[in-house]
Amino acid sequence: MGTFLINWAAYTPTVAVPLLLATLGLIISERAGVLSLTVEGMMLIGAMVGIAAYLMLGGSPYVSFVVAMLAAAAVSLIFATLVILLRVNQAVAGIAMVFLCQGLTSLLGEKMGWANRSIPGLRKMDLGALSSIPVIGKILFSQDLMVYLAVPLTILVLRLLEHTQVGLKLRAVGENPEAADAAGIHVLRTRFGAVIAGSALMGVAGAYLSVASSKLWIHNLVGGRGWIAVALVIFARWSPWKAAGGALLFGCIEAVIPRLSAMGLQFPQYFVLMTPYLMTIAVMVYAALSQRSRLTAAPAALGEPYVREERR
Amino acid sequence: MRERGNDGGQQAVVGKSAAVSSGHWRAVLEVRQSISGPQKALIVAVMLAVGLAISAIILILNGVQASSIFDELIVQTFFNRESLASVLVSTTPILLVGLAAAIGFRVRFWNIGIEGQIIFGGVGASLIAFYCPGSGALRLPLMGIAALIGGALWVLPTLFLKLRLRVNEIITTLLLNYVAYNFLMYLVYGPWQDPVDRFPHSAKFEAVARLPGIGFGRVDVGLLIGVAMVVVVWWLMQRSRLGFYMRFVEAKTRMAIVVGVPVISTQIAAVLLSGALSGLAGFAIAAGQEYRLTQSFALDFGFTGVVVAFLARNNPILVAVVSFLMGGLAVAGQAMKVFYQVPVAVVGLIQASIVLSIAASEFFIHHRVRFVRAC
Repeated sequence: MGTFLINWAAYTPTVAVPLLLATLGLIISERAGVLSLTVEGMMLIGAMVGIAAYLMLGGSPYVSFVVAMLAAAAVSLIFATLVILLRVNQAVAGIAMVFLCQGLTSLLGEKMGWANRSIPGLRKMDLGALSSIPVIGKILFSQDLMVYLAVPLTILVLRLLEHTQVGLKLRAVGENPEAADAAGIHVLRTRFGAVIAGSALMGVAGAYLSVASSKLWIHNLVGGRGWIAVALVIFARWSPWKAAGGALLFGCIEAVIPRLSAMGLQFPQYFVLMTPYLMTIAVMVYAALSQRSRLTAAPAALGEPYVREERR
Repeated sequence: MRERGNDGGQQAVVGKSAAVSSGHWRAVLEVRQSISGPQKALIVAVMLAVGLAISAIILILNGVQASSIFDELIVQTFFNRESLASVLVSTTPILLVGLAAAIGFRVRFWNIGIEGQIIFGGVGASLIAFYCPGSGALRLPLMGIAALIGGALWVLPTLFLKLRLRVNEIITTLLLNYVAYNFLMYLVYGPWQDPVDRFPHSAKFEAVARLPGIGFGRVDVGLLIGVAMVVVVWWLMQRSRLGFYMRFVEAKTRMAIVVGVPVISTQIAAVLLSGALSGLAGFAIAAGQEYRLTQSFALDFGFTGVVVAFLARNNPILVAVVSFLMGGLAVAGQAMKVFYQVPVAVVGLIQASIVLSIAASEFFIHHRVRFVRAC
């Protein structure tokens, strides 16, 4: 039982990190008032580009993360243009973008032969003596670099949103674009920036899935984690700290599945595979129940295109 | 599916300056007060052309010769008896899911969970096919009814959560797709695995549980059911009291509540119908085409349904037209896979490009960009 718990705890961050990155990206975009339902698509792009960069650019996982980030940011420009400049319904554009990315990634990946190619990927860190401490060493000091970076990143996003000028502008644009505009904030530019920055994080999340956790790429590798992230943001009430908590909770649930089967436990695997999705729905119900009495935490202008127009 | 902030006070919207300014000329954005029919059609046509051009570029990049795209996509697909039959076969489920999505959108319910509802429709139909041996000629109708019920049941939790707790249905329907898919996997790898070939699909339905052909290629009675559903849904939307309520809910939900339209029951009826029609699509595929449950029998139909409803502006007659075209696209995609080794994923990519182009046309319908000299 002891080893089971240790292995479980040691595996949890690997599952939690991509969810956390995607959720943080989504929070940045949504706090600026843009509902980026594209997150599943951005993760798909990140996952495929991550592997592609790894295979073609000399096998550095960190290069892969950067390239994946740039790729997702570039693809998000289509979405940003559609919803911010052309005011297309954000849900329509988001869902269509997800399917665009699904088609694009499986088309490219299949054509270029990137599927099912196993790579060494991102390795776990070996922190010498620290890593060999019993129990704690395996759980805390044998993770990969991205896990360690995730903590300062969460703090960074939180600081950025709550304590900087940029964050203030971003939130103003998401809460009341008219007032922000009157105060001299460039609404469209701020929203563009938020969507691009958020999508870049989603791209890294996808690349982490392919380069660090599964270490290979297959069609539809993301498997709905983007949608789980959308739900997690609501659960986290648009707060980075709660998002980290939610991601850890989901990491625990998803991480227990391979551990149970490693123990040789007999259970119907397809029902176990349903649990993350069912848990997500449960979490949304919980969020709905607990938010009923209080004011909603959602940015007031979430999903609303900003229209400032001139007529003569 | 209309933009929210677009009702009422547009006459009063007078902002100060426009978004972009460059040199002496600057772009000025105007809200159009009204737009003539032909003008609107022209804008949509131009944006459709943009979407088709993007699609053509995608195909050319994948090695399809530019000169043969028209021949491949239009002539070979629609003007060839054999191929036309295949188009009609693939139109059948698309028609049903298109109607399903359209009804949902009519009451502002985003049914993105059509795939899951197809699966449970297929499961319902198979239950009857496998476990009701004595039913004889009643078997097929019973299977159809079971499929309707299966699809409706699978949308029920989402509907409940949306109406009672205002949980976003886009997310719940999507997540339930994954649950349904895993349940299907459990069935075809477990209790319903084919005992004959041990492959992960269900046993073949007996002849009495298969939809008969209508004597044109592989086209089966499912198509007639689909066409009948177009008529039924058209009647419901345009002629019935429910349809009147639905249009009210779609146009102005809040006002509908105020004037006493039974909004909740209208939504319940429409959404259950949407799920039921998706389930029926599962029946049409399982009993009319595959004759069994396969792992992928529902795959990608969810998005296709949304695409069809969106392009058809939730109009059942247009749904039929667009479904036929999408059926053609599916057949052309298969052909291109065989002749040019273009992955089938290209079909989804083309659909998404066209949807995004048409979605962008809304902007040019509602706004006019003019270039004026700055003073």
